[in-house]
Amino acid sequence: MDFPSCLRPSLFMTGPLGVSDVPDLSFMCSWRDALTLPESPPQNCKNAVPHLAKALLWEPAMPGPLPLLPPCLDPWDPGVTAQDLLFRGGFHYRRQPQVMLDVTEQLSRFLWDHGDIAFAPLGKMMLENFRLEGGRNRSKKMTVVSAKRLLQDLGGHQPWGCPWAYLSHRLRRFSIVGGPVLGKSVSHLLGGLLHEELATRWEQLLLDEAFTGGALAWIPGRTLQVGQLVYPAGGTLDRLRFQEVSLTSGSDPQVLGDPGCIHLQGPVRQVVTSTVQGETLLAVRSDYHCAVWKMGKRRRPAPLQVLRVEKGATGISLSPHLPGELALCSRSGAVCLWNPQDGLQQVYKDTETLVFRDPSPWRWADFTTHPRVLTVGDRTGVKMIDAQGPPGCGLLLFRAGAEASCQKGERVLLTQYLGPSSPESLPPTLHLICTQFSLYVVDERLPLVPMLKWNHDLPSPALLARLLPPASPGAPHPLFLGGLGGQVQLLHITGKEASAPQLAGPPQSLPSPADSLSAFPLLEPKSQKQLQERLEAPTIGLASAFLPCASTPAVWLFQLSAAGDIFYQHLTLQAASSLHQDSGPPSDSRPDCHAPRATVPPVDQRPIPSWTARATACCSRWLEALLQVPPASPVWAAPTFSHRRLLGRLEPRELEEKVPQVLREAMAGGRLLQQRDLGLLPQAELPPAPEPGLQDELSERLEEAWEGRASAWWRKQQGMASEPGKQAKRPKRRTQLSSTFSSLTSCLDLPNTSSLPPSLERTPSEARVQPPVTPYSQESAQQLWVQGVHSERQQTLRDYMAELPLPKGTPTPGHVPMSPSRASRTQATPSRLPTPGSQPHRKRPRMGF
Amino acid sequence: MHSYLQTLEDSDSSKRQAAPEIIWKLGSEILFYHPKSNVETFNTFADQMKNIGVLNYLKISLQHALYLIHHGMLEDASRNLSQAETWRYGEKSSSQEILINLVQAYKGLLEYYSWSKKKMELSQLDKDDYAYSTEAQNIFSHSWKTSVNFSALIKTPGVWDPFVKSYVEMLEFYGDQDGARKVLTNYAYDEKFPSNPNAHIYLYSFLKRAKAPRAELLSVLKILYQIVPSHKLMLEFHVLLRKSEKEEHQKLGLEVLFGLLDFAGCRKNVTAWKYLANYLRQILVKNHLGWVQEEWKTRKSWWPTFHFSYFWAKSDWKEDRDLAYEKAFVAGMLLGKGCRYFRYILKQDHQDQRKKIKRMKKSVKKYSIVKPAV
Repeated sequence: MDFPSCLRPSLFMTGPLGVSDVPDLSFMCSWRDALTLPESPPQNCKNAVPHLAKALLWEPAMPGPLPLLPPCLDPWDPGVTAQDLLFRGGFHYRRQPQVMLDVTEQLSRFLWDHGDIAFAPLGKMMLENFRLEGGRNRSKKMTVVSAKRLLQDLGGHQPWGCPWAYLSHRLRRFSIVGGPVLGKSVSHLLGGLLHEELATRWEQLLLDEAFTGGALAWIPGRTLQVGQLVYPAGGTLDRLRFQEVSLTSGSDPQVLGDPGCIHLQGPVRQVVTSTVQGETLLAVRSDYHCAVWKMGKRRRPAPLQVLRVEKGATGISLSPHLPGELALCSRSGAVCLWNPQDGLQQVYKDTETLVFRDPSPWRWADFTTHPRVLTVGDRTGVKMIDAQGPPGCGLLLFRAGAEASCQKGERVLLTQYLGPSSPESLPPTLHLICTQFSLYVVDERLPLVPMLKWNHDLPSPALLARLLPPASPGAPHPLFLGGLGGQVQLLHITGKEASAPQLAGPPQSLPSPADSLSAFPLLEPKSQKQLQERLEAPTIGLASAFLPCASTPAVWLFQLSAAGDIFYQHLTLQAASSLHQDSGPPSDSRPDCHAPRATVPPVDQRPIPSWTARATACCSRWLEALLQVPPASPVWAAPTFSHRRLLGRLEPRELEEKVPQVLREAMAGGRLLQQRDLGLLPQAELPPAPEPGLQDELSERLEEAWEGRASAWWRKQQGMASEPGKQAKRPKRRTQLSSTFSSLTSCLDLPNTSSLPPSLERTPSEARVQPPVTPYSQESAQQLWVQGVHSERQQTLRDYMAELPLPKGTPTPGHVPMSPSRASRTQATPSRLPTPGSQPHRKRPRMGF
Repeated sequence: MHSYLQTLEDSDSSKRQAAPEIIWKLGSEILFYHPKSNVETFNTFADQMKNIGVLNYLKISLQHALYLIHHGMLEDASRNLSQAETWRYGEKSSSQEILINLVQAYKGLLEYYSWSKKKMELSQLDKDDYAYSTEAQNIFSHSWKTSVNFSALIKTPGVWDPFVKSYVEMLEFYGDQDGARKVLTNYAYDEKFPSNPNAHIYLYSFLKRAKAPRAELLSVLKILYQIVPSHKLMLEFHVLLRKSEKEEHQKLGLEVLFGLLDFAGCRKNVTAWKYLANYLRQILVKNHLGWVQEEWKTRKSWWPTFHFSYFWAKSDWKEDRDLAYEKAFVAGMLLGKGCRYFRYILKQDHQDQRKKIKRMKKSVKKYSIVKPAV
């Protein structure tokens, strides 16, 4: 094999990531790699390179990918999103918003939603301290408390730290005495577990490494036009499908027959195929299992072997040299050569990462040009290991450090052997290494120094890469680089035997499935959202098929989404001449494009591809089928059991019955529902009249000054101004840990009513939930809201409060229970009563931060 | 980033500093690839970008010069580099120094280019010509400047192939063999440099040109063998080793061939297979069965499927008969005459190859390391 006779100049620095003070030569433009100094004097052809480069352009036929198969009938739910986990309120004052996991809210949600898990053990423990049944007869024991009373008192309690929540003495006493015990034991344990869970979920959201390598494969068939797509389907991705597809240039791919299906016992994470010496093999990685099939005659898969990976498999790859050989790596840090005939051979094992410490257990293995040398990769680097050599030795091929001028925090996401491609266009010694920022092409004969570095700037982790054979002998290889978010980039890599690999032609960005939204008819918001979610589902597989025999070389790109849909796009190589001549105005010249076109030279004068009637028809059909799919059932619904059976009937609430009725009447009459319609207008409760305006203040001040009392007035004014400020801050101090207990106690330190409920100032999104009402009816509106929306939650709370104990020595409550409708009237009286032992509620446990 | 130009005035200093680089990157890429852009536009853009934020001046100048070289405007590029070379900002930091060295080296490369052009012209001129002496003088004046340009940079660890190559060529031209040798030795053996195969290849070809003793050549190639056992120079290495009288070298000669053929990229290298076939016979005749067995021990498990499978027998015979013949011979030697590859080729019974195949059959029978079961 030839080694490039002259490599491009590059600095070589050793050291950790991005700390050394050396110029980053990789700042250089992508075309730097295309530059060669004229070597021997008569150089007429030196301009040939750029012209060739500029001519390289693969044109997508449509503005976006189209669905290939009817949508999978299992409903799909996007799952946890970043918004679900992040801290929503506050921190606006920071210059750079920091990502914060909102553990407190998650915890309180958890307590609400999964109270059975959170409180059942405690409830069981304290069962003897409660009397669930029974009427008036007082128990002799002071340690037994009637749950009914407690529940009655709780009836008006408002969650989420509402300052106007009503609190009875009994509740207050209960929470003060019980608080430390309940708060600590439950929330400490739960908080810890929940925090751990959240952190893993968050990491998974940031990088879902399970699908590294991609779960979609293209197996070329006997003829060039026909091939098979292998992909997982079903809601849980546990059905491996084999779909025959026929490709003809100039038309859409045809699906031939029904797909073959193999039902597996776990989700398919990675599908790899390779054809060695005429034998096509298919390897599949699931979370804890790996399996190999051999594609027999008539393209039927025959199972060869299944392997169980105890710690979880992270990567599988098929040897391009020896039929039936695989490299396998597991979370335990072991890398094995696997041959269905000879079994497993452990090649490498290290629980530590290669270069520096990184907590990720992700490992990756691939082959090199030497059939007995493997590359072993983790987040920090890639090493070449000789399977026959002594264990532990090897050569670092890539190091996430100054050698490759990496940035701080840069980590390896994918390594791939580019394979023994045709030697006249690329040497068989190249490896592709993707990080979250860049793409590197490394030659195994010159370790540590990347031959090519390119900033891909994909917004989502680049976990998928496919290299295609050149369109014509000697032409560059198209390389597709796919992000988890659906973005695909197309690069052209060339490197004849005697020259280093380089990018040829401008890198292209291809449309993602989300760009196809415009091909679908406009829907009502809910269905539109469903469609959009479906199109934006993460891309978990990428495959490409190539049709070299056509008059213009064509490539089909298939993308598999996490929802189980396959999208395809058709790319054709643009002829060199059509790029340089003006091809006229775009076919769909929109009116708003005219003005800029007249003045500014257009960036690109190629005709913008537009949707054909067939494409939109295909999309509408697909959409119709999609809308038939039942929506995903919610993961969890609040329990709706009733305590009434246990406790006997509580008094029906007048308000609860009256409100819907009045509302209905108002709607029927087309009137505005007002406070007085409900008959609840609390006279004593009117919020303070608007502060006197500035002018009044000014005249007042002038008056006072005239009479020589200016300083006294000023002191008074200052006192007034500072008071509301303090009060406004108080609810902010309160954490959002609205675990049931802390919100009970938190009501204690609210002196009066003039501060706004925190639910209004916390987040805009929460505020939006509330109906738009006049400021006068704020309180009752909130009551309505609480009683309406959260009645289930309230009930859960009531149920669990029923099982909470009342500590020993508590005086029997003589307080008359109040109905919730009256609660708002009495809340103005300060509830700061002198209580012995009122300290404990200050130490509210704060989870997480 | 909302607006590129807005970012240039961002109050956050880190953002403000990063902005010109991003703008430059995007702008230069677009201008490079856009079918309608021209050199003037690029020049204007580069000149403006150079002066936004002092820290980028050198980098942008360098890339600007590369762009100009790419478009064949060598003089403009050289002028650009000269300007950048003299540029200083604040205290000279190490990063600045490396960049300046790089700028100088590229300038040196341009000078080398015009020098070698002159050299070409000179070789075409008659020695008695009047113009000859002035041209010769010109060349000499060049050399001195260029060597200064290169020498600073090639002391910094890195891959400097084009610079080293042209520097050595100039040194050799002026008869400074020791200087050239020193440069090359340093480039190849300095531990701070990456293990660049080219450094050893340059050194080897220099030594070969200088007619260095064989021992010296062997030691260079031995190191290259350790770095890149798949390089085509390994065949030369093998020939050198075969000629050597030392037994140890002869053994290494076998190892080198086996090592070369391990690589998928060398699978169809006829010369290597031919060498191996000949050498195997030669060694087995000399009764060094142990050497062969030692090499074969680690390859026994995978060479048969890797090289000598039925699939390859068919396709090799179809594509390259010479290759198939050599491989069949090796297969017979190593795997015995029952091997599928060997049998397949034997069965073909082609007219032209009949004699060859007969000979092959005989030697396989005689020397194969696998003895048929009695």
